[in-house]
Amino acid sequence: MANRIILTIGTKKGLFVAESSSARERFQLRGPFGSGVSVYSALVDSRGTPRIYASSCNPFFGMKVLRSTDLGRTFKQTKAAPAFPKDDGRALANIWSLVPGDGKKELWCGVEPAALFHSSDGGDSWELVPGISNHEHARKWHPGNGGLCMHTIVRDGQRMHLGISTGGHYLSEDGGQTFAASNKGVGAGFVPDPYPEFGQCVHKIARHKDAPGRLYMQNHGGWSEWSGPGGPRPGIGVLRSDDHGKSWHSIAKGLPSDFGFPIVVHPHDPDVVYVAPLEPMTRTCPGGAPAIWRSENGGNSWRKLTKGLPKKESFFTILRDGMDVDELKSPALYFGTTTGQLWIGRDGGEQWDCLFDSLPPIHCVKVAAV
Amino acid sequence: MKRAAQITVFVPGPLRECCAGAAELSLTAANVRAALAELERTRPALHRSVCDETGAVRRHINLFVNEQHMRDCNGLDTPLSSGDTVVILPAVSGG
Repeated sequence: MANRIILTIGTKKGLFVAESSSARERFQLRGPFGSGVSVYSALVDSRGTPRIYASSCNPFFGMKVLRSTDLGRTFKQTKAAPAFPKDDGRALANIWSLVPGDGKKELWCGVEPAALFHSSDGGDSWELVPGISNHEHARKWHPGNGGLCMHTIVRDGQRMHLGISTGGHYLSEDGGQTFAASNKGVGAGFVPDPYPEFGQCVHKIARHKDAPGRLYMQNHGGWSEWSGPGGPRPGIGVLRSDDHGKSWHSIAKGLPSDFGFPIVVHPHDPDVVYVAPLEPMTRTCPGGAPAIWRSENGGNSWRKLTKGLPKKESFFTILRDGMDVDELKSPALYFGTTTGQLWIGRDGGEQWDCLFDSLPPIHCVKVAAV
Repeated sequence: MKRAAQITVFVPGPLRECCAGAAELSLTAANVRAALAELERTRPALHRSVCDETGAVRRHINLFVNEQHMRDCNGLDTPLSSGDTVVILPAVSGG
């Protein structure tokens, strides 16, 4: 039975690890780890002996993968980081996603420029996954504001869903051998065709393991007032699929904005989903009043969760991997801000408290019970 | 064609863990490109921290031959003479 909560906080100045008992009353902070450089992805791998992985985006010496086998007390670089073949022409610019595979030491890694890597030895060696990395669309994808990044890897047996900004949603049904663009209903506001085959700016995709076929997507919204070619595109920012990502429909009605970055599903109820709407132009809290919004019916309606959060004068951003939820019986949400605050939303987001208020700008937050 | 020369590579502090703590490495190379190729062969972790997969020197790394930046000489083709030092330094940048 899990009795510790491990929270990893990837920031502009390295990785922090916060640890608490399962009561989640007090968190002890360790770090920063990783040379004080940006960390955009982390993984608390609780399979077997827990391991923590984190990317380390070193602008001087290139990308590294950090690994800890003592719950984040110490970290060492793995023997290798993902790297493109020498004759490929692409060079690794960032590591955006680390997720576990089936085997205990198996890892999948999404990178910038958008490509997928696989490791079967805990990150000591990596191989390019050609089915998506060399996909016929790959050289046609364009970078979004955060770069051309493969930021989301969602696995479901032989199915694998990838989120690429800006490439869209790609689906494999053969364990990652081959991929196809699967963006029916996924809109784009920055190209004349409102529903292109691929090239959407997907921000995050989430699923619940007990809801076959159900997926949620935070897409790049904020196009309801667009008046150019193709006309306005309301509600394209928050989407749901019930057919394994083959088609998507809007669930944005009732939200103050369909723009945002993270989307998180409740660990025990696939109908409960959380988003963090942002004002699309500034990408900060609407009206300076932060709120997490929760739906308890799969996105048909939404309720604002603000108890404990600032009521005004707060203009931060929560980035795509900046929110997560633990798996305890009464789960807590966690989000980190670009202003360096780490918030906990106890009782499923009913009550918010600031755990740390002066960290470096936060890129990613991942939590696990170990 | 210039003959290979015995040179020294100076390794900055943050990269010494790539070469068992060594601050200096001795190797034989006719120019900077050959020196990097030798590092790739003998010290792959160090090379990966200095060059990306395409072989380009990373954007925030500066290479000097003695006191001259290689870009002010002949880039990667800057010739090396016996006793030269190739200095690896991270650029001054931050935020």
